[in-house]
Amino acid sequence: MVKEISEKIKESISTVEPVEIPYEQRGYHLAIEATKANIVDVVSFFDKAGLYLEDMCCVDYIDYLEIVYLFNNHNKVCRIKVTLKVDPEKPSAPTISHIYKIARWYEREIHEFFGVLFEGHNFMTYLFLHDQIDFYPLRKKQVPVPEEDKRLLNSFNPEEQEDGFFLNLGPQHPSTHGVLRVVVKMNGEYMLSAEPVLGYLHRMHEKMAENRTYQQFYPNAARMDYLGALNFNLGYVTTVEKLCGIEVPERAQYIRTITAELNRISSHLLWFGAFVADLGGLTPFLYTFDDRENILDILEAVAGSRLTYSYFRFGGLFNDVDDDFVLNVKKFIDRLRSRFSMYERLVTGNVIFINRVKNIGVMDKNYPLKYGCSGPVIRSIGIPFDIRKHEPYAVYDRIDFDVATGTNGDNMDRYLVRIKEMEISLNIIEKALKDLPSGPVKAEKIPKKLKPPKGDIYHTVESPRGELGIYIVSDESDVPYRMRWRVPSYSNLMTFPELAEGSLIADAIATLGSYDLVIPEIDR
Amino acid sequence: MCALDSIIAVVGKEVIRLIAGLIGVLIVVVVNALILTWVERKVSGHMQKRIGPKEVGPYGLIQPIADGLKLLGKELLTPANVDKPLYYLAPVVVFIPVLVSFIVIPFDGFLQVKDINVGILVILAFSSLSVLSILIAGWGSNNKYSLIGATRSVAQNIAYEIPLLLSLLPVVFMANSFSLRDIVEAQREGWFVWRWQFFAFLIYFIAATAETNRTPFDLPEAESELVAGFHTEYSGMRFALFFLAEYTNIFIASAIATTFFLGGYLGPVLPGIVWFFIKTYFLVFVIMWFRWTFPRVRFDQLLNFSWKILIPVAFANLILTGGILKL
Repeated sequence: MVKEISEKIKESISTVEPVEIPYEQRGYHLAIEATKANIVDVVSFFDKAGLYLEDMCCVDYIDYLEIVYLFNNHNKVCRIKVTLKVDPEKPSAPTISHIYKIARWYEREIHEFFGVLFEGHNFMTYLFLHDQIDFYPLRKKQVPVPEEDKRLLNSFNPEEQEDGFFLNLGPQHPSTHGVLRVVVKMNGEYMLSAEPVLGYLHRMHEKMAENRTYQQFYPNAARMDYLGALNFNLGYVTTVEKLCGIEVPERAQYIRTITAELNRISSHLLWFGAFVADLGGLTPFLYTFDDRENILDILEAVAGSRLTYSYFRFGGLFNDVDDDFVLNVKKFIDRLRSRFSMYERLVTGNVIFINRVKNIGVMDKNYPLKYGCSGPVIRSIGIPFDIRKHEPYAVYDRIDFDVATGTNGDNMDRYLVRIKEMEISLNIIEKALKDLPSGPVKAEKIPKKLKPPKGDIYHTVESPRGELGIYIVSDESDVPYRMRWRVPSYSNLMTFPELAEGSLIADAIATLGSYDLVIPEIDR
Repeated sequence: MCALDSIIAVVGKEVIRLIAGLIGVLIVVVVNALILTWVERKVSGHMQKRIGPKEVGPYGLIQPIADGLKLLGKELLTPANVDKPLYYLAPVVVFIPVLVSFIVIPFDGFLQVKDINVGILVILAFSSLSVLSILIAGWGSNNKYSLIGATRSVAQNIAYEIPLLLSLLPVVFMANSFSLRDIVEAQREGWFVWRWQFFAFLIYFIAATAETNRTPFDLPEAESELVAGFHTEYSGMRFALFFLAEYTNIFIASAIATTFFLGGYLGPVLPGIVWFFIKTYFLVFVIMWFRWTFPRVRFDQLLNFSWKILIPVAFANLILTGGILKL
């Protein structure tokens, strides 16, 4: 696959020179240096080859800015890094938002953080920041925001620009699960258009990462996605371990898998309750919280916290688990299995519920390519894309498990996929518990000051919401030079405007609920 | 005694009776709403594996009074851009029709403020007014969520008032009277719900649930979509009046169902008023049961259900009943 693409791109675009990269070290197979002249051709080539835009970010190397495009395949891992060097004095680059729709948001983000102007982008407003910033936050040197940029950034006022009935769903609204704001143009009960407005919980974790050592960044990862904190924690430690070449003991790997899966179940349980509450059924919410409480108790006993865990450390775990843990997890598995039939009778089989979710919010088959969405959202369309299978980390390659998929890509499928995933997670935990080896849970000789070798790395894990990717650039010091987080809800939410167009407000709320959004993760 | 006689002589016995009745009704309304809020919290609590209020008084019985005092003591906030006359008027308008409906309900053979020979028409006419107050509240609040909630409410009430009326008419045919007491007395041989009118009862109960804006038909105040619908901008005692009206409406809807289909105050051994309250509160419980079990239907599904299913079935039932009685 990699060879094939490498040859094909050389054939069709003569000016590029693909370089093969050792995947084990860097996390990508192929690196391509593009120029302003041929970047659009390169990107359209990948679009035609059926690859999706996994991530897009920018790194400030002082002499030049480097825009990084990462492409990947849904069937088999084939990650390609395309870089584009940009002049730091007056940075600009051609837009690719007409090829990949998700680039629309990525480009807005790069614009406000680095000041790179994307030529041809038709909506260069703020994504996260407020309109009073003086300097571009992620540039290594202070670069003031020019006047024309400020004007551009502050131009999102739909109510002043056109006539119509505008409704602000959020940032304080019961169904936006946090502080998402969606500006909706309405015609009676129907939505004409919807534009998500982000940034109400923006804390600039990427900038924070540049100001603290690798160890000091542990807690930040948990604060991004507070429902899947262990998965984010796991993603962060595995990335840095891969970058430094740290070997993790067997027992620690198994415990990581078990606790991460428990965390996934707790996240899905909360979503389940909240989704039905969005549809007006308030009782299941309390039932799932009752189940979830068990997981929180189990994890509290080993990790010390109930929600924002930082249980994993570079090279292992903070603490070993005891026999009580194993016993309680086994008890919980039995308990949750017996509860699924009750949920089936209470919710899944309810006529009102079925009428509210079936054939609502149907996603096209081309959404994953256009938007790069992932997790249960993409699996509901029928694509068995799961990082746990594709690029196994921890001990997922040693455990046999299914990937739940749907067929239609409607709200019902997204619901069923998550329910199925909880059962699969239970199976994974059960198998991992059976094989749990004894031994140490911490690697020896991890330096107090971790100084990874020079270079960059991209690593992904499957969070409860989808593909979490972390891109780290190291300059051999004990602080990351640049840390970029590719978060799953970001690209999932991007599909919302298209799905909401022309739908009833009640259906749009149901669709929004079916994404399982966690806003602090999107805002970072 | 002499003074009382002279007063009676001046204003007439009937007026005195009405005034005394209205005061009695006011007490019943308030006490009933207090009990129902407590019941709702207990019912929802036990359905959700909680225990509900328990700290204030035995079994939390004093809780509604504490809540009521809290609401009374709250500052009456008026948002800056509301349409003031309408905004102030709405909570009052929502409460008046509720009081009037109580006048004709027969709690027992002798316990009725006034038996009017078109009793059911009085109730239906006045309960239609409640949608007016919701519209006033939604429009006067100058809030987009309130407005959407109010428009939903109008469409919903128009759609569900028709099956409501159509399901009650067959009973009127059978009892040969519009008077509520006559209808109860006609059930001495057996409740109408078992005498051919089971479908009418079902239609009435569904329509009444929609009419009182309860889940699964609580679209005007759908909190996951419209925050709080038409009463988003109301707080303190004004909110409490909406709340009071909602619970009283549930009670009235259940009381009419009891009167028309379940034999009203008729029953063995126990006094009539006890039977009346047992039956009514059972129906109230069923409505609460709905709320804590079902998700909410969608707006178009709600209207389709009424116009395409309930109204034709109710019409067929009406024609059938009329035809059989004529033969």
